[in-house]
Amino acid sequence: MTTQVASLPPSAASPDRLVRLVASGAVIVTILYLILYGLYALWEPSALTAYTFGSLVNNTAPLAIAAAGETLVILARGFDLSVAGVISLTNVVMASYPVDGPGGALLSLMLCMAVGGIVGAVNGYLVAVLRLQTIAATLGTMIICQGLSLVILDAPGGVVSDFVADTLTDTLFGFVPVSGLIVAAVVGAWLMLRRTDLGVALYTIGTDEAAAALSGVRVARTRFLAFVAAGMVYGIAGFMLTAQTVTGNPNSGSPFLMLTFAAVALGGTSLSGGRGGLVGSIMGAALLMLLQKVLFSGGVSSFYTGIFQGAVLVLAIVFSRALTHLLERSRA
Amino acid sequence: MTPATLDPALSASKDERRVTRVRPELVTVLSTFALSALLIVASRFVSPALGSWGQAATVVSLSSFLIVAAFGQGLVILVGGLDLSVASLITLSAVLCTTWVGPEAGAAGILLIPAILVVCALIGAVSGLGITVLGIPPFIMTMATGIIVAAGALGYTSGTPRGSAPAPLLALMKGEVAGIPLLLIFTAAFVIAAAVLQQATGFGRRLYAVGASARAAFVAGVPVTRTVVAAYMLSATASGVAGLMLVGYSDGATLRMGDSYLLPTIAAVVVGGSSILGGSGSFVATVGGAVLLTTLGTVIAALGIGQGWRTVIEGSIILIALLLLRENTFARIRSWFPR
Repeated sequence: MTTQVASLPPSAASPDRLVRLVASGAVIVTILYLILYGLYALWEPSALTAYTFGSLVNNTAPLAIAAAGETLVILARGFDLSVAGVISLTNVVMASYPVDGPGGALLSLMLCMAVGGIVGAVNGYLVAVLRLQTIAATLGTMIICQGLSLVILDAPGGVVSDFVADTLTDTLFGFVPVSGLIVAAVVGAWLMLRRTDLGVALYTIGTDEAAAALSGVRVARTRFLAFVAAGMVYGIAGFMLTAQTVTGNPNSGSPFLMLTFAAVALGGTSLSGGRGGLVGSIMGAALLMLLQKVLFSGGVSSFYTGIFQGAVLVLAIVFSRALTHLLERSRA
Repeated sequence: MTPATLDPALSASKDERRVTRVRPELVTVLSTFALSALLIVASRFVSPALGSWGQAATVVSLSSFLIVAAFGQGLVILVGGLDLSVASLITLSAVLCTTWVGPEAGAAGILLIPAILVVCALIGAVSGLGITVLGIPPFIMTMATGIIVAAGALGYTSGTPRGSAPAPLLALMKGEVAGIPLLLIFTAAFVIAAAVLQQATGFGRRLYAVGASARAAFVAGVPVTRTVVAAYMLSATASGVAGLMLVGYSDGATLRMGDSYLLPTIAAVVVGGSSILGGSGSFVATVGGAVLLTTLGTVIAALGIGQGWRTVIEGSIILIALLLLRENTFARIRSWFPR
């Protein structure tokens, strides 16, 4: 009884757990997504075709995966700005060194994850061992990655292998988008990781670092691994972006910086760590991309997309806080 | 047990400490300025055209935009927040300046310049209220206002900002008085006024109190909400001023004008030794950080290497500066001075 670290609810069906589930960001953002998709289908009947859904998933995959990686760092109470740098870097690496065929695609993926992992290891060392502030340290590595991207490819261009470009944006059996499967693979890896010591340690560090250290959690090691894992996941995001855009651009990662944090926040992960999860972030990314599509089909000038994205971001957070508050009050 | 009965030795030892104590902020300020000066002198080896007083003046002019914007960022970081709307507000005020005021503005048109700053301040107030009243984390709230303002500026100009700078702004940025550039005088006045506001007024002390512990400040009677909202309003206004200065400097506005200033404002504050978590730091140190970053930028630009390697060096320098300016570095320097 006294040795239990995390306080688990007494039973699965207890009201506590129900309240937490309903008010959790992942559920709210999924409901918002379904509502918005319904509106989109009313507007644009083709929304329900496999083709439209497939292309929406393709558009969403890079941001969703990037947000998934960022979540790992944020759960352990940190910020990782290097996401933009790693995406640019892996994008130009792939466009400058294309390898053909399925084996080549796998090799490219490994290379992207290795690049991301190395950047993540540098971040992890700076933060966990040298104890620099996460925003400041990852700001430095992000700028270095942007510079290296320019060194590798100084202007948009390059060649992407046909296999990567065609297969990863294709659908299996006519309705399962391949990019969706890659996102699912990331989620699968997370669901396994969450149940390991490392996964539990991530949450405990984010909740209370001092208490975690006192209960024997290896804080520095966990934080280091969180950055490395996040970097590898950004590498996958860069890989998917390249398949999507079929070109290299040394600035391709920059638009991801703000949107990644927006997706994580929309998904209900607390930016001060300890609460949330990866699935919410992926749904948050999906909502942001769907919103873009709905606004476009609704005839709203693409100039104003940002106004709606910003408003949704604030409203989702206010809504989720208000709901948690109300549910807690009605129980008392 | 009245205070008068205290052992006199206690107060005596306190005095002694004050004499020999080296304040960490002072070390940071001196080292950033010394490094900047050293870099300018050393850059003579890179190119004979560099390393002159003229170059030093150019560096100060170029860093003026960063100094002004970083003042606001520093205030927000001081109260434990972060302002990610800096870039959008710089762009907004620049765009409004060229479209509302324009080059042929008369006396009435000039009155619109304060109006632009009021618009910026109101946007800052929205961010501040979202953070304090609605309890939205600063990171998200300012990111949201930033995204919204950027989209607004984009839509307002339909993607291509028109117009050029009004004459008074051109005069401020390019003019001279008795051989001294007006911009230098303006920047010096701004730095003094800003440093006094942050370091020597009641408002400044309230900012430090809120940053150190909002709860303790509240208990002590500090109007926390008002102080935090004021910090965000000042930050937005400072970004607006930086935008106006950029319009005068480049005689026009672009929609990406502010983009290259967001991360440097944070870097300048952090290189200046302030904690990103709030409650500590001084504006003069941030000025040192801004000057150091700009000096590095110009020296690296003069090396004649490609944009890519230049960017790599800039990033590495931020990391090196962070490592050198860590807390235990101060402790080591302090230990050189005998107590």
